[in-house]
Amino acid sequence: MKLLKLLVLTLLVSMLTSCYSVRLRNVNGAPQLDPFSDRDDYYRGMAVVEKDTVINMKLTSKDFTYLIKEEELCESGKLNMVEYRNTFGSVLLSAVTFGRKRKVKIKYVCEKPRN
Amino acid sequence: MATTKSKLLSQWDTLHNNGPFPLKLLYQTKLEGERLMPKKIDRYNDAAKEIQRLIKETQQAGEGFRAYGSAWSMNNIASHKDRMHHNGPMNLSMPIHPSECHQNNAYDPTNLFLFQCGNTIKEVSETLAENGKSLKTSGASNGQTIAGCISTGVHGAGLDIGSVQDYVVGLNLIIGPDPNDIVYIEPQSKPALSDAFISTLNSRVIRDDDMFYAALVGLGGFGFIHGVVIEAEPIFLINRYVKKIKKSLAFELANTMDFKNSSFTIPGETDAQGKGNTPFHYKIFINQYSDDPNCIVEVMYKKPYQEPYPDPFPVIKESIYRDLIYLFVKLAEKFPKSIPWLVKRLRNTILPEVNEETTGMLKEIFWDAPYQGPAFACSFGIDHSHSEQAMNLLGKLTRDEGPIPGIFALRFVKQTKATLGFTKFPITCMIEIDGVLWKKTRKIMSLTEYSRRMIEVLQQNNIPFTLHWGKNSDWEFPGLVDHMFGTKANDWKTQRTQLLSPAMQTLFSNKFLKTVGLG
Repeated sequence: MKLLKLLVLTLLVSMLTSCYSVRLRNVNGAPQLDPFSDRDDYYRGMAVVEKDTVINMKLTSKDFTYLIKEEELCESGKLNMVEYRNTFGSVLLSAVTFGRKRKVKIKYVCEKPRN
Repeated sequence: MATTKSKLLSQWDTLHNNGPFPLKLLYQTKLEGERLMPKKIDRYNDAAKEIQRLIKETQQAGEGFRAYGSAWSMNNIASHKDRMHHNGPMNLSMPIHPSECHQNNAYDPTNLFLFQCGNTIKEVSETLAENGKSLKTSGASNGQTIAGCISTGVHGAGLDIGSVQDYVVGLNLIIGPDPNDIVYIEPQSKPALSDAFISTLNSRVIRDDDMFYAALVGLGGFGFIHGVVIEAEPIFLINRYVKKIKKSLAFELANTMDFKNSSFTIPGETDAQGKGNTPFHYKIFINQYSDDPNCIVEVMYKKPYQEPYPDPFPVIKESIYRDLIYLFVKLAEKFPKSIPWLVKRLRNTILPEVNEETTGMLKEIFWDAPYQGPAFACSFGIDHSHSEQAMNLLGKLTRDEGPIPGIFALRFVKQTKATLGFTKFPITCMIEIDGVLWKKTRKIMSLTEYSRRMIEVLQQNNIPFTLHWGKNSDWEFPGLVDHMFGTKANDWKTQRTQLLSPAMQTLFSNKFLKTVGLG
């Protein structure tokens, strides 16, 4: 029973500690704003694109490139800041599928278009 | 054609959550694309037409209209209960060429630029840097739009420069829906642009000192600021130092501004005789809950631009847990006596690191300030000779009748010519308390009550003062604007009446202007 508790505790700790975010932000350029957004976090007032998906890789593919496209929340198609989240689940998914399924959980804000 | 997106809403809030305030309809206008309309001036004029269409639509609905930029003001000055317009995407910029200048122009034309209202300070600075130029000064950060800055009097600590509005050369305003309702205002005493160029902006020219200086800090009440012509200067570097010095010495400098004969010197920042140079920027941080006889000061000196210089940015910028801030607020509301202890624990987050030395361009030194949760700021302008007395009085009030979850800072700014500019003293000391926004409980008074007590204390001690238009205060305090500006408040109203038709005076007024008796 003690061993089981220890195992659960270890699992919990690894799940929590392996879950973190990394944010990259340009020194130059202004973020695209969204006055209609009501976010209350770091991105308050900004036009944020969020992607939470799983990429299915071919056996022959080594890595993949996720393309940032022009859209309403990303008018310039250029990045100003990106945040990616690493979770225990995403590491596990990649491990058990031998890298064929890769979870992508990112937020990004594009450059405000310059006129 | 420029296009406008609109959304029906019930409320709107500032960036720092100082509302919410009621709102019916929010507009955002996007310029026509460069491919369809290649000339900037055409896109600029096309946007003006679209704004006029929105003004007409609003007028026909019998409602009011107010433009805003980055929502950085901490009160309802930028809000309107009917319709608001977000200016952000309107960010054209154009250099002014010598051929576009007035025959009596006294400015170096290479320093003149026209910026559309939605350009943020960061965007303005980057455009200028591409041209080898810099803003003369900015606020402590760079997210405000140029139109928002001048409307509310945003300042830094420019001892020889003044505030953002003080390098504005001319204003392009939309004051109604008709073709004759686009005006370009500049001082008669210092014309910059030629009539021919102004006519390409589809604008009628008004050269009038009184009108210009009234409209300069216009509080959003002089119409829609479409464009601002500013005077930049050649790019320069700033050496920034953070030092811990005796409070008595910090206030001796504040009261006298005599850096030459002070014992405060920084190696390398002295003249040939070893006497201290007058800095570009001087700021004092005061933790009113600390008995420490020393305090932190931030001093900056202007230098010619040269490369290379050390990278002014750290690689990593950490921000504290938002939950920690919420916990701080909850503790402050339930146990106000814990505030001094909490402030002390957070001092490393609030205050700059002692002995920090940084070199960079203005745009690098006054960089981004990410959102960190609901915040408040109360900011008074006083004559610099009253700095120490005012700090002692407001510090005592904050300790005795608070505590309040924030700390003080003092910055010093050159006098403005703007009629309702709050930096009205020969050298204005802006004394400000910044902190986290709290809710009134049985144990802690409200922000409005605290603001009222600050006004009362300064009045009781005969310290003349002004208030920062974009910060928190008890704006309903009786006779506040007359007390601060005397006859100048009437001068401002007279100029507004001369510029705007009665219908447009109503359309461009809002609750804030009515509250302070200017609407």
